[in-house]
Amino acid sequence: MRPSEFEYHKADSLEQALALLQEFGDEGRPIAGGQSLVPMMNLRLARPAHLVDINGLGLDTIEKKDGVIRIGALVRHERYLAEPLIIDNFPAFIDGVRAIGHPTIRRNGTIGGSLAHADPTAELPLLCMLHDGEIIAASAGGERRLPATRFFEGAYMTVLEAGEMIVAVELPVPPASSSGAFVEMAERRGDFAIAACGVTLEHARGRVTRAAVACSGAGQTAMRAPQLEEALEGLELAHPDAAAAIAAFTETLNPPDDHSASADYRRALVGQLTEQALATACSRAMEAS
Amino acid sequence: MTQQMDRPKHIGARIQRFEDTRLLAGTARYIDDIRLPNMLHLRFVRAQMAHAKVLEIDTEALEDIGFPTQVFTGADIGDLSIKAHQDYPEMQYSEQPLLARERVRFVGEAVAAVLADDAYQAEDAAEMVFVDYEPLQVVTTMDQARDPEVPGLFDGWRTNIFVERQMKGGDIAQAKAEAAHVIKRTYTTQRQAGVPMEGRGVAAEYDPASRMLTVWSSTQIPHLVRTYIAEELGLPESRLRVVAPDVGGGFGVKGQVFPEEVLVPWLAMKTGRPVKWVEDRREHLTSSIHARDHSHTLEAYVSEDGRLLGLKADISVDVGAYSTFPFTAAGDPGMAAKVMPGPYDFQHYEATFRALATNKCPIGTYRGVGRPSAVFAQERLMDDIANELGLDPIEFRLKNVVRDFPYTNALGFTYDPGSYAETLEKMRDLLAEDRAAAEASSNDPDKRIGVGLACFVEQTAHGTPDFTRRRVPIETGYIAARVEMTPDGQALVDIGLQNHGQGHETVMAQVAADALGIDPKDVHVRHGDTLTTPYSVGTWGSRGGALGGGAVHVAAGRIADKLKAIAGHLLQSDPQKIVLQNGIAHPEGQPDRHVAVAKLARTALRNVDQLPAGMEPGLEAQYSLDGPNDGTYSNAVHAAVVEIDTKTGKMQLKRFVVVEDCGTILNPLIVDGQVRGGVVQGIGSAMLEHFIYDEDGQPLTVTFADYLMPLATEIPEIELHHIETPTPLTPLGAKGLGEGGAIGPAAAIANAVADALGIEVTKTPLNANALWHLARQAEKNRAE
Amino acid sequence: MIEITLEVNGETRRLSVESRRLLADVLRQEFNLSGVHIGCAHGACGCCTVHLDGKPRLSCLTFAAQCDGKSVRTVESVGGVGADHPLQKAFRSEHGLQCGYCTPGFIMTLIPFVEEMTAERRMPDEEEIREAMSGNICRCTGYQGIVEAVRKVIGENLEEGAQA
Repeated sequence: MRPSEFEYHKADSLEQALALLQEFGDEGRPIAGGQSLVPMMNLRLARPAHLVDINGLGLDTIEKKDGVIRIGALVRHERYLAEPLIIDNFPAFIDGVRAIGHPTIRRNGTIGGSLAHADPTAELPLLCMLHDGEIIAASAGGERRLPATRFFEGAYMTVLEAGEMIVAVELPVPPASSSGAFVEMAERRGDFAIAACGVTLEHARGRVTRAAVACSGAGQTAMRAPQLEEALEGLELAHPDAAAAIAAFTETLNPPDDHSASADYRRALVGQLTEQALATACSRAMEAS
Repeated sequence: MTQQMDRPKHIGARIQRFEDTRLLAGTARYIDDIRLPNMLHLRFVRAQMAHAKVLEIDTEALEDIGFPTQVFTGADIGDLSIKAHQDYPEMQYSEQPLLARERVRFVGEAVAAVLADDAYQAEDAAEMVFVDYEPLQVVTTMDQARDPEVPGLFDGWRTNIFVERQMKGGDIAQAKAEAAHVIKRTYTTQRQAGVPMEGRGVAAEYDPASRMLTVWSSTQIPHLVRTYIAEELGLPESRLRVVAPDVGGGFGVKGQVFPEEVLVPWLAMKTGRPVKWVEDRREHLTSSIHARDHSHTLEAYVSEDGRLLGLKADISVDVGAYSTFPFTAAGDPGMAAKVMPGPYDFQHYEATFRALATNKCPIGTYRGVGRPSAVFAQERLMDDIANELGLDPIEFRLKNVVRDFPYTNALGFTYDPGSYAETLEKMRDLLAEDRAAAEASSNDPDKRIGVGLACFVEQTAHGTPDFTRRRVPIETGYIAARVEMTPDGQALVDIGLQNHGQGHETVMAQVAADALGIDPKDVHVRHGDTLTTPYSVGTWGSRGGALGGGAVHVAAGRIADKLKAIAGHLLQSDPQKIVLQNGIAHPEGQPDRHVAVAKLARTALRNVDQLPAGMEPGLEAQYSLDGPNDGTYSNAVHAAVVEIDTKTGKMQLKRFVVVEDCGTILNPLIVDGQVRGGVVQGIGSAMLEHFIYDEDGQPLTVTFADYLMPLATEIPEIELHHIETPTPLTPLGAKGLGEGGAIGPAAAIANAVADALGIEVTKTPLNANALWHLARQAEKNRAE
Repeated sequence: MIEITLEVNGETRRLSVESRRLLADVLRQEFNLSGVHIGCAHGACGCCTVHLDGKPRLSCLTFAAQCDGKSVRTVESVGGVGADHPLQKAFRSEHGLQCGYCTPGFIMTLIPFVEEMTAERRMPDEEEIREAMSGNICRCTGYQGIVEAVRKVIGENLEEGAQA
């Protein structure tokens, strides 16, 4: 279990990294934290001929500008837990980050790496979808802004093209009267989830004015639940009973059925986690207001 | 047999381990740390199909690879193989070739051996070997294996059953006739892997000048590996040295002789260069050995007043594609059949047990061997009976456990004294509050608390007759120790055990130190090297403390007798009255009249003119200690308290309690560590670990992302309580304890789940998916 | 081949490595640091944990080529051949190890945690201690001795600090 041969290139600037990635095309991969890519390489399930090391490029800031929070592709997971811009604006995001792997993984893994790896039940893809995130992908030809909801094509598959790499993720800053929560169920703490659900709410006068729901475990990628989101509008924060709407949502799901979980379990779990995330988001909203 | 010790001082003390320093400092030497000049690295090409004819092995691509390689296949190695036969007429004969010949029988079986100067290159080269297969019908289930229409895995086989036999005692028909209640259930335990953190590995070097072959292997059984290699390769055993260096865990997994252990030395001799193979994690999971995979159908005969009268068992084990050496394919099912009567007093028993061949990795020994599955079935059944009869599960057990010792069970095995009722009573006290909480939660729709326990005996340190009865190639079970004193009064203990975490370097020093009156730190314990240690069966079967410790005690005692004779001579005193302690020898009650042990040692080894007339110079003794005929029986009660979220299937293990009795405790620090470690492996068996194959025999759980073992976050503090009932059958009164921790948890946790949800639990693992489905079933049952 | 400079346990060396060589292998083979153990080679067991520029890192998920100019610490540097670091001593007294294979990884993972708690002057609860070691698998001990060792050494540090 050692990687096949490749050439290593350390990029000193984004331009250089993108030029190298363009040159190598399908044969090249950027490497940042290596927490997802290197296991695949050691198992020889990934065998890039060229690795472009982007760790020296900066791309590791979290900034607020023009109503969005921009997270550099190389921001390591543990950073969020001490970052007021995230803590203050995205409680669901913080819940989700706490559930990622283990301390060493959180210290080294990057948001760009996690999104590009596209594990079906990883936390960050779901969280970016939940928060209406846009993924900024750059190539030698320029930048593309890709809504997170259209970024993932399947398990371990994204719309990124050869020569392209993620440089940042932008999350719109939610209004002050907002709330959120994320809940996941994993066999062991730190494992990829069997299913997970994140909820965000905007509210006024004790009622939900806008909701977002994203879940994983129901398909090959995380997904939003637009009908459910609509149904949650007007929900009383003090009585967050949305069982019927959630049931209507889970009935539409067609989750995978495999050795680790049956389809009916996954479907029920998504519903249950959605209820829990919603209840927590509502009670957080009540506490804040 | 029993020799009473004078004044044990170090035995029983909580002494920190001597071996820890090198393990903590990073200076220990494991198999991958063996580096030899000019060494070749071996990488296997392993079967990608579960059952297929090997049509062609194409190595042409290696010609252009740009670095030197050598490739060996089944055609090169002739009929060298692992032969593991039980001497029963109905046993079907099978051999595991060192490299597949013509046919592969499980995914991961070695097909070709590729050698290169560097491990990365060897892996590159192995990828370039192309194997052309013709698929054959795959056998992946017990039902398929029992189907007479399915072709045999081996030429000439009638069915895919390695062996099917019976064990019985008493009159099962009588028990059935007398029974007021007949309760029949089927219980299954999943396929698992033992997974020591260090995988396997072998290195070998042949020195033509001395005709000496040295083999390093990450094994628990260096002497048995030596004998097997010598016999299979036709080499003089006196010129063969097997070294088990520091071994990073074994748990029974490294207690077999593997094909790689024979092949690597053969390659070293063939190529004239040292060869090393270090298993990678995927290989370990697919190609070492697996464990469990049992299905037991039990029928209990119970009297009107709740006494067990008899038990009938039908035991099947999916043992995979080959019989393993030295415990064979019948090891697991035979063990389950043998131990099924457990701690209960009934005299009618009949078991049919069979080993089924499938296209999966072979089953071998893993901590508990058959017992975790047997205890799961037995103790689930006890709860199901209690439930059916409306009895309290603890009181029902108390009514049926053996109380008078020695006790001879239905199969004729004699149990030495234990504390079956006492451990249960102690546990009853410890669980009172949890049981009340469980009762109170029984109508909570979301969160249910359950309490479950498992009561069991464990036959440990069994002696030669047990293996003779089983007619397995292990043949015997003794452990030898050689103790030598050096002229400075320090001691050397060479023991035939192999220490891979059990603390032998400390415990054996404690035992020798007490006998010799010196400090344990002045005892150097060596093990794991056939050049320095006396022939023994190695470390397995919970025999290290009981037999290894006993052998050291007897051998050191013989040296002590000689030291006392010399001291008596020098002090003009009666040798019978000499006491050895704190590094000096003195007549009883007269510590001022003393001579240093070091002085006595120097006299025996150097100043021999001062020895009593006619005394032989030297200070060395060796003793081989066989186990008691039927072994010595440790006993324990394990209990689990669980909380289950019925909506998500999430189970939290709130409490795990052990009350155990392993006889004399030699070092409480180590005993506690062994029990806790075993319990956590058992928790893994109960809740997480599952090695899965699909219907084509493809393994699905080949990395640690899929094969899930307990992490620190999943485990509560393991609460331990000890009762000590020393056995008269071993010199120190110690019984075996290494495996016991792993035996009870599956049963205890399953009983807790059954209690929490009010439903019968028939199989493991109890992971989130399983628990959610059980909760749904329970809901449905309640509604009906 | 790539030319790199590594500072390992205080010794700086320039060496030439193949791009694909894992840091774990380079430490073991070029620096003879056999205390770096490879348990899974896919980042799931923590055995190979070392410190890269002072922070825990899985050396099986790191290419040596990426470490040019960086500083590496392995278990060999922690308490010497006598294993005298307080955490190592606590592992000994609390029986936090059996076969020893996972032990260097646990030590390297937990030293920064112990230092962090000591700096924050607080005793972590059981859950936090277990979470801190949740990327490391120990198959022998059942973790309890390790948890107790961490608690013991933090307790000692806090007491020392209180006296000072």
